[in-house]
Amino acid sequence: MEIFRNMWRRKFRSFLTIFGIVIGIFAFTVMGSMALKLNKMIDGGKKYITGQISIMPKGTDFATGQMSGMLPIDTLNKIGKVEGVEAVEGSVSLAVDEPNPDEPISMNISTPATIYSFDTTSNFKNKNWETLAMKEGKLIDKESADNDISIGSTVTLDKQWKLNDKVIIRGKEFKVVGILDKTMSGPDSYVFMKLPVARGLYIESNPFLKSLRDRSSEAANISDMELAKLSPETRSQIIQAKTFKVEDVSTMAAVSWKDGADPEQVVTRIKDQFKDEVVVLSPKKMGETIDKASATMNAVILGSAMLALIVGLFSIVNTMVMSISERTKEIGIKKAIGASPRSIAWEYTLEAGVIGLIGGAIGLGLGTLTAVVLNQKMASKGAEIFLIDTNFMIAVITFSFVIGLIAGLIPAIRASKLKVVDAIREL
Amino acid sequence: MQKIVAKATGIKKSYRMSKKNIVHALCGVDIEVCEGDFSAIIGPSGCGKSTLMHILGLLDRPDEGQLEIDGVDMSKLKEKQAYRLRAKKIGFIFQGFNLIPTLTAYENVILAGKYGGQTLSERKSRAKELLELLGLKERMGHKPNELSGGQQQRVAIARALMNDPALILADEPTGELDSKTSLEIMDILKKLNREENKTFLIVTHNMEVAESCKKIIRLKDGKNAK
Repeated sequence: MEIFRNMWRRKFRSFLTIFGIVIGIFAFTVMGSMALKLNKMIDGGKKYITGQISIMPKGTDFATGQMSGMLPIDTLNKIGKVEGVEAVEGSVSLAVDEPNPDEPISMNISTPATIYSFDTTSNFKNKNWETLAMKEGKLIDKESADNDISIGSTVTLDKQWKLNDKVIIRGKEFKVVGILDKTMSGPDSYVFMKLPVARGLYIESNPFLKSLRDRSSEAANISDMELAKLSPETRSQIIQAKTFKVEDVSTMAAVSWKDGADPEQVVTRIKDQFKDEVVVLSPKKMGETIDKASATMNAVILGSAMLALIVGLFSIVNTMVMSISERTKEIGIKKAIGASPRSIAWEYTLEAGVIGLIGGAIGLGLGTLTAVVLNQKMASKGAEIFLIDTNFMIAVITFSFVIGLIAGLIPAIRASKLKVVDAIREL
Repeated sequence: MQKIVAKATGIKKSYRMSKKNIVHALCGVDIEVCEGDFSAIIGPSGCGKSTLMHILGLLDRPDEGQLEIDGVDMSKLKEKQAYRLRAKKIGFIFQGFNLIPTLTAYENVILAGKYGGQTLSERKSRAKELLELLGLKERMGHKPNELSGGQQQRVAIARALMNDPALILADEPTGELDSKTSLEIMDILKKLNREENKTFLIVTHNMEVAESCKKIIRLKDGKNAK
């Protein structure tokens, strides 16, 4: 009770101090829940990527994320025969929305909806793959029609697509047969689609591939009799064109290893044989890279929030030092009537702790509110970028109280050491 | 033979104000306070009255000399034990009342009981009892700034009595009061001495106050004056 009265005695100063903590804890809450969300997404991605050996075409530029290359089907077939390899699945992935020609580069903090090709016939299996929980309907499988799709929870919110809706993706009509439960990670923004259909869309989106396909079908129409009449050079060109198959197009591939095989050894074997054609990503190395990246990111996010908090901490120290010099006389009186140094120290430490706690509670409230509001706005645009976690909230509150106690400790010890006679002289 | 509450022999105390300026506040003072005494310490300002009171009240330690409070030898007492003894054996009444401004009269009195180690129920009933005794029943819930000087000093007296101390030290208890209120306060102290056998040692330079005491101790230049 006395604590609140003492705070009330200097309303404006208490308010300013609390406000400092509010800002610190606010930043901490917002940044923290953003880091939590990103970590969760990264963890999901990491789990998936470490459950398989990923194959990219040579020339893939990770710095810009450009994946323009393609994987020849022959190479994939050959990789399938490497010792320890269980299965190889080629795949294509492309954005759901066609890029806006007027705005070719756009910044987006959330993951845009992505088509994720799903080879329902392959026996490839990611080692860490878990059956995705469905909110409604089912995940596409062998029995699904070619125009059936299953969609992630963010896609549902973003596009306002519902179960059994007929939707248009890149000019083609699809039917939503399933909606996934929220995973807080990659699959939330995926549109799962059968591989051949996804390939079709991919070829459609690429002018070069499109013309190649058209030429191939033209070439297919040329009969062997006609072919024999042509010059040898033209003939070989047409034969080449005829061998092009849409099924050959993959932008990346995933390799699963046989049970008992060491994935790192399999990686080495693939690398030895195909180093001129593909980039092989080892699960172990990818895991380490992701860990390093997320550690850096966490350090940056939490570091900036900590900075705000330290400023708040010093404002408590300052306030407490000031109120102690203001209350020197009071401390003197208390000591004169028998207060022990410990009880004086505890009183002031606790007062600082309460300042921290109040500031923390308000900051946490505002931070959570901001995260919730932004999440709701973001949800309709793309993805939520905050994860509000109860344990995190409890930790923040405890932390703010502890911060207050720590800040109060030094001034409180100073107060407890105050000489009674000196304090009383101020009478 | 009356019980000796406080006995000081050859108390010396000096303060170092700067490197070359050392103030000898007390240069060998002897004093004895018996149970039921109602004594005044008088002397010109700077004679060491307040320093002596601080030493008797365990707020300060003498450089030299023996000090016994209620039979306990203080020279052997450690700093940490001093506050416990102070809470239980000594009551203070100050010139400026020295109540804690954020607390009500009642809470100010209760606080002393807390430091004296009383239980909550003990504290509550004793504080009420004392405030009633001092005629402050109606003013218990008021803060010091809502009380008159006389009322504030009465609260301070109640606070000093809270732990039933062996010795009550009063430093110019009437210094900030008008003459009529001063008389009232002195009457209260005398009544407590007479009826409850409380021991008082009053520092003052008001001769009227001093003359109303049973015994007068004179100090001059840090020594007992004849």
